[in-house]
Order: sequence, then C-alpha cells, then structure tokens
Amino acid sequence: MDNQYISVGTREVNSDSSMKSVGAACYIDDIRLPRMLHCAILFSPHAHARIKHIDTSKAEALDGVRGVIHCFNTPRNLYNSAMRFYTDTSPSDMPKTEMIFDPVVKFVGDRVAAVAAESEDIARKALSYIEVAYEELDAVTTLEHAMQEHSPQANPAGIDGTNVCGAAVAYGSGSEQEVLLEVSQSPVRLTSKFRTSRVHHAYLEPVCHIASYTPDGHLAIWTSGQNVFCFRDVLSEALGIPQNRIRLIKTTCGGAFGGKLEVMHEPVAALLSKATGRPVKLRLNRREVFSSTRCRHEALITIQSGVHADGTLAAQHVHSALNTGAYATSGPNTAGAQSGKTFVMYRAKHMFYNGTPYYTNTPIAGAMRGYGCPQLMVSREAHLDRIARALSMDPVEFRLKNALEPYAENCMGKPMHNARLIQCIKEGAERFEWKRRREEARTGQGTKARGIGMGAAAHGAGWYPVYQDMTSVTMMMNNDGSLQLLTGIHDLGTGAKTVLAQIAKEVLTVPLDLIQVIEADTAVAPLDLGAQASRSTYIGGNCVKECAEELKRQLTKEATGLLEQEESELSVKGMHVHCTKTGRSVSFADIVDSAQKGTLGPQRQIGAFRSFCSREAVYSYSAVFADVEVDTDSGEVEVKEMLSVHNSGTVINPALAEGQVHGGVHMGLGYALSEDMMIDEQTGKVENPTFKKYRLFRSHEMPRIHVHFLEEPEESGPYGAKSIGECATDGVAGAIVNAVSHALGGADIDRIPMTPEYLKSLIRR
Amino acid sequence: MGDKTCVSFTLNGEPRSLELEPRWTLLHVLREVYNLTGTKFGCGTNDCGSCKVLIDDNPVNSCVYPAKKLEGKRVLTIEGISSDKRYMHIPQAFVNAHAVQCGFCTPGMVITALGLLLEDPDPDETKIRSYFTGNLCRCTGYVNIVEAVNLAAGRSTHG
Ligand code: FES
Ligand code: FES
Repeated sequence: MDNQYISVGTREVNSDSSMKSVGAACYIDDIRLPRMLHCAILFSPHAHARIKHIDTSKAEALDGVRGVIHCFNTPRNLYNSAMRFYTDTSPSDMPKTEMIFDPVVKFVGDRVAAVAAESEDIARKALSYIEVAYEELDAVTTLEHAMQEHSPQANPAGIDGTNVCGAAVAYGSGSEQEVLLEVSQSPVRLTSKFRTSRVHHAYLEPVCHIASYTPDGHLAIWTSGQNVFCFRDVLSEALGIPQNRIRLIKTTCGGAFGGKLEVMHEPVAALLSKATGRPVKLRLNRREVFSSTRCRHEALITIQSGVHADGTLAAQHVHSALNTGAYATSGPNTAGAQSGKTFVMYRAKHMFYNGTPYYTNTPIAGAMRGYGCPQLMVSREAHLDRIARALSMDPVEFRLKNALEPYAENCMGKPMHNARLIQCIKEGAERFEWKRRREEARTGQGTKARGIGMGAAAHGAGWYPVYQDMTSVTMMMNNDGSLQLLTGIHDLGTGAKTVLAQIAKEVLTVPLDLIQVIEADTAVAPLDLGAQASRSTYIGGNCVKECAEELKRQLTKEATGLLEQEESELSVKGMHVHCTKTGRSVSFADIVDSAQKGTLGPQRQIGAFRSFCSREAVYSYSAVFADVEVDTDSGEVEVKEMLSVHNSGTVINPALAEGQVHGGVHMGLGYALSEDMMIDEQTGKVENPTFKKYRLFRSHEMPRIHVHFLEEPEESGPYGAKSIGECATDGVAGAIVNAVSHALGGADIDRIPMTPEYLKSLIRR
Repeated sequence: MGDKTCVSFTLNGEPRSLELEPRWTLLHVLREVYNLTGTKFGCGTNDCGSCKVLIDDNPVNSCVYPAKKLEGKRVLTIEGISSDKRYMHIPQAFVNAHAVQCGFCTPGMVITALGLLLEDPDPDETKIRSYFTGNLCRCTGYVNIVEAVNLAAGRSTHG
C-alpha cells in the first residue's frame, strides 16, 4: 500500500500484550475483593426433569457455607440470555425461555442450585449435601428426534406443541415453490445433505464472574463477557433492579469467540451476593464449561441446486435445521444470520432459504464465531464441488463462473458494494498454484492420497440488515494533548482497542502510547451492542473516526483564534495545528490550555461524543485453499499447507488481521477434522468434556498457513475497512472437506468432523 | 483438616517454607497462597499448559503437581521470568512477534519457551512445534508463537 496514512496499515502491537506476556494482566479470576466468597453451582444430572423438592439443610449446616439458592427461593422472571439490542425490540425473534433457576431442568448441566461459601472447596463440597427430588420427564437428545412430528417437547416454549424454537426463517428471491420449480426444471439437478457437529469455543479462560451487591442496592459485576450493556439490561429484567444501579465491567478477556456473548451465570453470582451481602466469585471448571455454557448449533443442511449445462447456477434452495439445545437464546437469530449469507456469494437468480431451530434436551447452543455461517459455508462449498464434479468442471472455474461481481445486485435485488469474492478466488488460485498442485495430486503414492481443495465464504461487518447497528464514542483531550477514548466496544484479545486507537491516531496524529482506550464498562463507556457480528472495526472504527474528526474541528477552531488564521489554512500534524501560510503552529496542549482558560470565549473542555449508525449491508469475503494428505489405511488427515485470501477492505493493522486468520484457521481445522461435543443419546450427557477427549489442533498438527489480503477499500468503511473476525473461520472447513474429497477421488463427504473412523468407512464404501 | 505438611523450596529465587494441606496443588499454592496470579487455570486436568511453571528448569503443569512434592525444588513462575534480566527477552519476543492475543495461554507459553531454550538454545521449527504440543492456544493457530520462540532464540523467519 502507498504511504497515504500515518497509522492505518501499520503493524502495531496488540495493546496489553506487554502486560499479558509477563502475567501481569488481570483476568477475572485474578481479582480478589475483600471478604469475597466463592460460589459453585449444582448442575442437573438429568436431561429433563421436574424438581419436586430441594433440601439444603445439610449443605447450609456445613462450616463455611454462607448461602444456598435454587428455584424455590429465587425470582422466576423469564429472560433471553442472548438479548442483544434494546430489550424488547423483537420478542418473537428472541423467545424468553430462561430463568435463573427453573423448576424444570432441561439438560444435563442445567442449573439446579448454587452455594456461596468461604472457599471454592467448601462450596463444591456443599453441593454434594444438597438433596434434590426429581421427577424425570421424557427427553429429546437428538436433533432428528426433535424434528419428528410426535416427539416429546424438549421445552414447552416450542411452537404448537412441537420443538420448533421461534418461527422458521423462510424467504428468498421468490416464493419457495417458484424456486423449487426452477431447480426441478434445470438440466442438471443435485441435492446434498450435510451434517455439521456441535463444537465448543474452547476459549482458554474458563467462564468466571464476580458479583458485588452493596447495601445501597447497587450491583457491580465483573465479567469477561462480550456485551455488557445487554447483560445489564437482562440482569435488570431477571433480578428486578433498575438499570442505573447495575454496573457491568468487562475485564481482560481470556478468549470468547462468541462463547461469552450471552449472559451466562452472572445472575447466580448476583443473587448470592445479594443474599450474603458479600462479593461472590464463580469460576467454572473445564467440564462445566463444556456442559453448561454455550456451543455451536449442530446442523442438518440440505441444498438443492439446478444448474445449466454450461455450469451456470440457475436456482438454489437451502434447508437448514439447527439444534438450539434446551433454551432459545440465539437460535432464531442464528437461522436469520445464516439466511442472509445464502444470497451474497453466488449469482443464481432464484434462491430460497428455509431454516428452523429446534429445542433438544442438550447443552445450549449460542453465538459462536461465524454465527450460523460455518455450517452453511461448509455444506454449500462441499455441494458446489459435487456439482463441479458432476459437470467435470474445475472447482475454481465453476466458482468463478458463478460468484457475484463487485457492485452487482444479488438475487434479492440488494447492492453488493465492493464485493471481491471473484478476485479472492482468482488470486488465491494463482498464489496457491492451484493447477500445478491439482495435477501433482493425481500422482499419489501407496496409502498416502494427496488432495487439493478450496472453499469460499462471506461475512458481514455489523448487524445491519438484521438490526440497525450503532455505537457511541467519547473522546476527551487531556491537558498535555494526550487522549482518553471511551468506547463500549469490547476487546476480546483480538486487538479491537489497538485498531480503534490507530484510527484515532490517523485523524489526530496522537501516538498510540498517548491514547488511553477505556472499554465496555456500563458506568463509564457509552452504549455499544457488543463484540459480535464482526462489527468492531467497521462500526467502532467509523464512530471513532467521526468522533476524532469532531475533536479535530474543535482543536482547529480554537487554533484559528490562537494563530489568527482561517480554518482553511490550518492542518493537523504531530499533535500541533499548523498554518501552511505562515508556518506557525500551536501544540494540542496549548490549545487545550487556551480552551480551559477561556482565552477566546467561555471556558470549556476539548472533548467530543458521537453516535454512529450503520445502514449498509457490507460483506467481507474469503477464499481458502488447502493441500492435504489422507492416509487411506488409517483415515488420518494431515493438512500440509493452506492459503487464506481475504477481501476485508483496507486492513487497519495487518499483524492483528493475520492473527485473526491464523486463529480462524485453527478453529476451522478443528471443525473439519477433530472437534465434536459428543452427546450420549441415552443420558444426554456430554461424553467428552475435557481437552483430552475434545480434540483441539495442537502445535505440531498445524499446517503452514499463508495469509493474503486484497486491500480493496470499502467506501462506507473507516479508511475503507470491512471485517475479519468471523470470515477468518467461515471458509476453512469447506476447503478441507473439498481437499479430502479430492484426495479420495471425488468422494461425497456428507459430514464434519471427518474423523478417521468416518473416512475409513467412506473409503470402504 | 488436621494433617498438615511442611515443605521448603525456592520460588522465583526466594527460599520459602510452607505449611500445606495434602490436597493442595502447586497451582493452588501459587495463586491462592502467594497471589501469583500470572500462572493460569485453564483446565485443571493436565491438558492445556496454561498453568506451566519451571521446576528445576523443566516445564510442569502446576495444576496437577502435588504441592507436597515441592521439598527442595526450585520453582520459577512467569513473575520470576519477567523480573530476571536473563529471561526478559522471552516475553518481549512474544510481544514483538504478535504472539499475544487474549493472552490467557501466554504465561504458560513463555514458561515453555524458556524450558525449551534452556534445553536447546537453537531449536528448529519441528522441535519447537513438538515441544509445545502440551500448550493449547485458541487464538493464534500457534503461528506467531512459533515465531516468538524463533525470535527469542535470536532468529527471525519472517525477516
Ligand atoms: S490448567 Fe494445568 S494443564 Fe490446563
Ligand atoms: S492467545 Fe488466546 S489462547 Fe493463546
């Protein structure tokens, strides 16, 4: 990139990394408040049961126990933990199905009771003294069972006696019949059914909260959650405390990936703090994190496409069933988000999406990096390769023929902005030497079969068009010209704070070490909608840019008096306002001083507040390429090399953006090959709730990863930026599935993860 | 709680004597007794490496290390590394290589890097990758962590 910027495009180090690297950063579990108690939760051993009676007398008699709560002594206000906009915007989209303690437990891992005690050991010991009488109910532990017409209800909130959560999301370029008719009348027709597994975020920092309820009726909560303002609103609703008396403070976050976007067990800590009059800390252990937090929606996706003989996609119908687990939380929204991505990649004139979340008596699915997108992308990219095979077309050629052009209108009549999917695929194929590798792969040796595959993906930059997206930023200049930047944007370790500071620097020339970014504290920071929807750079960045520009106007205006020059003669450089005509300049510190002394008018502070609202549906794109080797005896896959090409608009910080892609690839590889939260069909228990059995890719298993950004600026983005967080992982599994299929001579893969057992059975077939 | 044991060991260069309960792990001792919170609890089951410390120069998962075995041992935690001039370049290499995202795995990674470099000052990439197999990271895909170890060993592969 040329040097038009002083800060945009530089490889600044992630803020806080010098603290984190020496163990000095303070995560929640590192906070110790005076008189703090520790909490432990009793989780249901049953998949579905009514609690008839709870006897806590023995637990309460235990030395060191200070409080015990459960469904018979706590409020039963219904809420939706995934509420993420103004609380009551769309109740039909976000059914309220959760209580802090529900007298009917709906999955193994649902909350039954909780204890606060002088130590975690005592609290955990006390759990075993709580006596609960359950009446077991019929349970539904699989998605297929939940979908059957006369299956029992996993949650009574299911629509019309079924397990449907909320309403089906169904719309397209025309009616469903029309689109299906177009499919059936096409010369080439293909239907694929694909299953994607339930996976966990596997953030390294276990879920942890501290709550402190004080005698004046105020509640403070420390969380590493991703959406403090909505947490405040949900807690206010669940506990009946006015919003002004609840303060949510986001601490340093040890990884989240969507897994900390929804209210978790904060209300439990809050109630125990209220009951005991002391601060309460809750930290889950890893088993509990697997069973009693959130996970990705398992999905069954059926795609039907009609194709012309020349390889042009004519029509496509996507049917998706999502397993939302025991409660609604994000279910309907996930289908909604999935639906949107259906229409923004390929050019078929006729497209339709029909998706439904179903309740089951299994751990709650919720937000996870990609939010419905990875399921759709892997299924469809595998499907597209099948079509290419059926037509004897090269997968790259086939996609190039069908990908949406920049600034085109999609089948829904929506403008595509600077959508560079085609360029991602083309450049990726060239850089990866697609043709050479595909040729070479034909000549495999012995039991090692080599395969080359690709997959593409798209992801938004913010909430729009699902909701209007907005955030606010406050910036204040200190007396020495340094800056305070207050934002509700949450940095989960991604570097969001650094990116925002870089944008402020671009406008104001203030170096990063003179910008204090204060994030996500409901008592201090202005409103924001949380770290989700890949929105931090695009939404937060736009807002910071506008706010910084407002601050710059104030500085320049004050300087017109000090330098006795017109505004048009002035510019900002190195924390000074310069006059090009006279060569004179005045420092930011002197300008602030002048404003505060009231030299040129009433005394005032140099500071700005700005809200930014987005009404643009903007998408980032990726094309991912993989070179793999499959051992046809053992079914083991070794991923040798990958290239991930991204159209994220201008890259504000290449080092951080590459880091997002590296992590996204890691998550996508696990999704494709090894990660699966297995649920015992009989009991509903998570069978593998440890890092020993739930297999994340480890350092020696990772391929060489190349990352390339096409820096095509997006007009509506800050300095042309779009998004990266979720797009980094969306396309990975598709590339791996297609590479493995290529290695196996075009085998039709119909599920992930592609475990060795699965691949062996496929090879035998 | 009765049967307490007493152990003497060195912690980040300082001699320590501690009366402990038999069930305590080293991680518990570090975090709850000495308030050394740089060492992290990630799983408690010996699977993630967030809780790594050096015991007599070898990386060990402190979450499963019984505190009663500490007698006569030399324990080095992330806090010890960051205040030791000989080792400070290692956390700095993690910063410079952009190997820190959420940072929860980082103290364990830095400890492991020191363990490796004490054993082999010039490890190749294969060696690095296999040495770090007990350390999980969900954020970085290990790419920049490997680079950080290269940097700490006095090499840069990215130029
Ligand atoms: S916390 Fe010790 S290995 Fe994970
Ligand atoms: S940096 Fe987040 S787990 Fe490694």
